[in-house]
Amino acid sequence: MTTRTAEADSSAVVGLPSEPPAGIRFRRRLGLREAMVELWRSRELIRTLVERDLRVRYKRTVLGFGWAILGPVVFMLVFTLFFQRAGHFATGHVPYPLFSYIALVPWTFFSEAASLAGVSLISNLPLLNKVYCPREVFPIASTITAAFDAVMSTTVLLVLFAAYQYPPRLATLWTPLLIAVEVAFALGFSLFASSTLIYLRDLRYIVPMVVQVGMFASPVAFGLSVIPAGLRPLYAAIDPLAPVLDGFRRTVLHGLTPEWGLLGIAALASFAWLIGGYALFKRLETRFADFA
Amino acid sequence: MSIPGSAPPGSVHVDQLWKRFRADRSRPVFRDEVTRIADRIRLGRQAATRWRWALRDVRLSIEPGESVGLFGANGSGKSTLLKILTRVMYPTAGSLRIAGRVGALIEVKAGIHPDLTGRENIFLYGSILGLRRPDIARRFDAIVEFADVGDAVDRQLKYYSSGMAMRLGFAVAAFLEPSILLVDEVLAVGDAEFQQRCLDRMRAVLNEGTTLVYVSHDLASIEAIAKRGIWLRDGIVRADGPIRESLGAYRHHIESAALTSEDGSGQLGLAAMVSGPNGSAPASQQPLQIDLTLKSRLPQRVVLYLGVSEGPAAPVFSLRHEALLGEGVTHSTCTIEAAPLPRGHYYLWLAATGPAGGDLTPWHPVTSFELLGDELDATLPGVVRLSPVHVKARWQGTTSAITTASSA
Repeated sequence: MTTRTAEADSSAVVGLPSEPPAGIRFRRRLGLREAMVELWRSRELIRTLVERDLRVRYKRTVLGFGWAILGPVVFMLVFTLFFQRAGHFATGHVPYPLFSYIALVPWTFFSEAASLAGVSLISNLPLLNKVYCPREVFPIASTITAAFDAVMSTTVLLVLFAAYQYPPRLATLWTPLLIAVEVAFALGFSLFASSTLIYLRDLRYIVPMVVQVGMFASPVAFGLSVIPAGLRPLYAAIDPLAPVLDGFRRTVLHGLTPEWGLLGIAALASFAWLIGGYALFKRLETRFADFA
Repeated sequence: MSIPGSAPPGSVHVDQLWKRFRADRSRPVFRDEVTRIADRIRLGRQAATRWRWALRDVRLSIEPGESVGLFGANGSGKSTLLKILTRVMYPTAGSLRIAGRVGALIEVKAGIHPDLTGRENIFLYGSILGLRRPDIARRFDAIVEFADVGDAVDRQLKYYSSGMAMRLGFAVAAFLEPSILLVDEVLAVGDAEFQQRCLDRMRAVLNEGTTLVYVSHDLASIEAIAKRGIWLRDGIVRADGPIRESLGAYRHHIESAALTSEDGSGQLGLAAMVSGPNGSAPASQQPLQIDLTLKSRLPQRVVLYLGVSEGPAAPVFSLRHEALLGEGVTHSTCTIEAAPLPRGHYYLWLAATGPAGGDLTPWHPVTSFELLGDELDATLPGVVRLSPVHVKARWQGTTSAITTASSA
């Protein structure tokens, strides 16, 4: 045991190289199956995190869950005030408030998921730095919290159906498909944004901006028919939400099927986001604690 | 990372472990990465990024049920190693095999949310640690009792005292029942009673066969808990062996660093020699003679402080003496009638102040000496002895022999 060491650099004493020998670099071996099993085992944690977010909001605010509804309702009123009288957009005999609100609900879900999940890792950094869990539980929990709000805000939709005596059509049965595409996109985007945000903190300010612009770039206030038909496939690839929002209107309000071609493109893009976002997340995950 | 079947649960095998951090952590990560990639393209090979190595070539093998104390100065890599063992961090190089569930008793206000009640926080933190709800419910009462929060369990956490909040976090982790328990600085948290409860809990966990890795700056508590000690310095394992030996090496290092650095400072020159009776070697319970040489530039009245320590600046005992010094060198002898210390290596610390206070020479180690004699009796595992004092004691009734015992 060497104990008498007054030297400043003790590696000289031990005779260690200044860097590890090549070839012993640590590589985490984590298969997809293993990762999925681990995620499945963390389902209770996800549930607890969602519960925490909801409880905290309920305890902190007077309006509680009312806030979930208020956001899209205010936008609906504003849109109606500005766009309905101008008569800009072809709604196809659908009352404009209903026309915009049915897109506002899925849009709000996406924007809330993106902004909550984007900062979910940053806001849980002290925790990440102390205990282990698969890190994707945080953006996933935020996305579920946003989904909960979306469910709450559909209650207003029911009120609107009744008020305008405009019942939803049978084609509403197609909506689970639309929801699946949207959730895939929202999750993919959240995984991408939250993991890169650790490395590039500027994204904290960029993501809300992108989301805000996205509201006007997506067919929320207007219909997809505004876009020239030739550009729509490209539009769907860039903004997978476009065919989804349009799909909600086509099915629920008009009783048509979704536009399969465009929805297919959106589905491909969304799953590319999901897979790419997850792969990037798991790759960046190993160094999260280093930068905390 | 855990490979079931290949090693018994509770064992840790770490081989050639290296971990690096960016040298300047205040720089934005992204800019660093861009520079690195640009350099790699421009120079065609890995550029000389400035790294700081937090761990270098760490090799450890811990068997199930072992109790290991991990110590070293600030920044020596203890916490980094612990984080790698909990999988919060990943090493840069080397291999790591951990069998069984790892639980960490780490200061956690992090998992804990101020707007939730104590009860909600127990469930929240429990599931973060990987416990299932029924498991938490089953241990709920024990956790509340351990944290000693009582009726406050249904109060929001923001109305807890800071000590209560921390105890709650600890209590949840303490009932994890992992096969490997990592403990980081428990004794910094909570009052004396809670600290003792933590130590008791660690001992109970050890008795159940759990592997324990305990990190602390409190060397006495490490000595009370761990059988094996690992001293980390600048990310390198400098000593790994039986706790008394590796702690001894570490203490010795602290002291000898202090001995060399404090030379000649102060307005008053102080030197000392320690010996036993009639010039023999110093021994336990024998007279201890300390010969002081004091160098002063002017005649003055000073107050001398003298202490003997085995660890850092806190002495086992200290003496105060008012001395009258002439100009130049004055000799003084202090005799301690029976050295109340067990066998070991000790350091003599000295300081001098003016009669009204005011440092003439700061508190610093002057010399060290070996003391012969008996070893200390062992304490009950988990009980921290404050300092090694050797007292004469007589036992009757259960034995006829006269023995010595130790106490604090």
